[in-house]
Amino acid sequence: MDPDGPMIHFQNVSKEYENLTALHDLTFSVEKGEMVFLTGPSGSGKTTLLRLIYLAELPDHGSISIAGWEATTLREASIPFVRRNIGVVFQDFRLLDNRNVFENVSLALRIRGVGEREVKSRVADALKTVNLRHKADSYPRRLSGGEQQRVVIARAIVAEPTVLLADEPTGNLDPETAEGVMRTFKDIHAKGTTIVVATHNRELYRNSGKRVFRLNAGSLVGEEVC
Amino acid sequence: MTAPYAFKLALQSLRKDKWINLLSMLTIFAGLFIISLSYLVLYNVEAATRNLPEKFSLVVYLEDNLPREKISEVIASVKSMREVASVTYISKEEAFRELKATLKNSQYVLEGIDDNPLPDSLEVKLRRDAMGSEPVRQLAETAKKIKGVSEVDYGEKFLSILHDIKNGVRIVGIILAAILSTGIVFVCYSTVKILFYRRNDEIETFKLLGATKGFIRAPFLIEGAAIGTSGGITSLVALYLLQHLVIFRMAVSVPVFRTVLFPADFFLSLPLIGMFLGISGAVIALGRLKY
Repeated sequence: MDPDGPMIHFQNVSKEYENLTALHDLTFSVEKGEMVFLTGPSGSGKTTLLRLIYLAELPDHGSISIAGWEATTLREASIPFVRRNIGVVFQDFRLLDNRNVFENVSLALRIRGVGEREVKSRVADALKTVNLRHKADSYPRRLSGGEQQRVVIARAIVAEPTVLLADEPTGNLDPETAEGVMRTFKDIHAKGTTIVVATHNRELYRNSGKRVFRLNAGSLVGEEVC
Repeated sequence: MTAPYAFKLALQSLRKDKWINLLSMLTIFAGLFIISLSYLVLYNVEAATRNLPEKFSLVVYLEDNLPREKISEVIASVKSMREVASVTYISKEEAFRELKATLKNSQYVLEGIDDNPLPDSLEVKLRRDAMGSEPVRQLAETAKKIKGVSEVDYGEKFLSILHDIKNGVRIVGIILAAILSTGIVFVCYSTVKILFYRRNDEIETFKLLGATKGFIRAPFLIEGAAIGTSGGITSLVALYLLQHLVIFRMAVSVPVFRTVLFPADFFLSLPLIGMFLGISGAVIALGRLKY
């Protein structure tokens, strides 16, 4: 574990699925407190790259370091504790339909063993951040796509992770709501959280002043500041 | 994980999948109830035969006209055997008196018998740990070899049957208990496995949010324990009802039911036995699942 190194570092990382190359020889770093974008067409490897960061997958080749932890040599029992530093806005939401908004968001805290009183206040704050406090008792199926997306964001930020990963966070949103979500990300980033946003929506990173990594067919084909 | 949250998750799951859980609970109840009934039979057979050694005696017949000193020697030899608790000398006169008293209303049986045909004898009581057809047979053989002893009589057949019944009931009980306990563990194992698969998406989300294996396992272990315990409580209630509504009522008209004993200690531990079997099933299931 290297506390002075970058927050995320990929070194010659490759990943294959049944002889199909998902990622090929990626090397890049994301510094602490930095906000970066991953872009590229569908199937370019954005989601796979995020899955490698939150340890849902391991690379076939190369090494990955996250917050100083070496992913490839990590013991299985340590994985949950590394994941607790990472908030994820999943593309498919992963909301639990049989639990209301409050319970869905509070899960991230329950898993960490946070006490009931603190859970209530932190969930209320997170829901306020995404303007969904009035929907705390609603069930996901009764919410619009945009509202569901904001619940996922609330769940990702409620435990104040050091890294926030967002996979197409505005994919289901109208431009106005998408802008609101991006504002939320910028606020969280301003507090020092490292953020990686995977998107094919140019509007999100245009004139952002942030680094943008371009992926194509699993390879890193460009890096620029937009 | 805070323990109350694990209980909350387990309770939610017990409610949500109530039919699967109810079915498992009833299966466990049936298993434990049958185990309890076989234990009840074994317990009562043991209790009924426990005092038999005190009532059971071996009769050593002595040769005719044995001198007094010789009789004392035979008594001393028999008494020195490890299995013997007490020896009572019964003279032929005493035996004849007893026979006459027994045949008080059937004196015609003894008509024409002028001389006392009975021999002197020793009534030998055995120690409790010497009961069993084989030790008694060996003892009889040894006693027969003592000089002055003409015959040894003991309820060989009775002892052998008693021994076989006790062993048979015990073996059947142990086999039944082993099969049904394995069945109960398997029911809990299968239930937890089904519940686990039904909540696969939820578990995957928990994992991605940073849940440890302990966090994921705890509600399933609680569920296994709850299903097993409730199966145990139900069988305890059923046994209570059996005692009060069936045995006690039948005892009024059928005397043999008055002697039925209920092993309360074992029956009161049924919820704990159920809980142990339930947790065992859950532990095996969680150990075999990949997550």
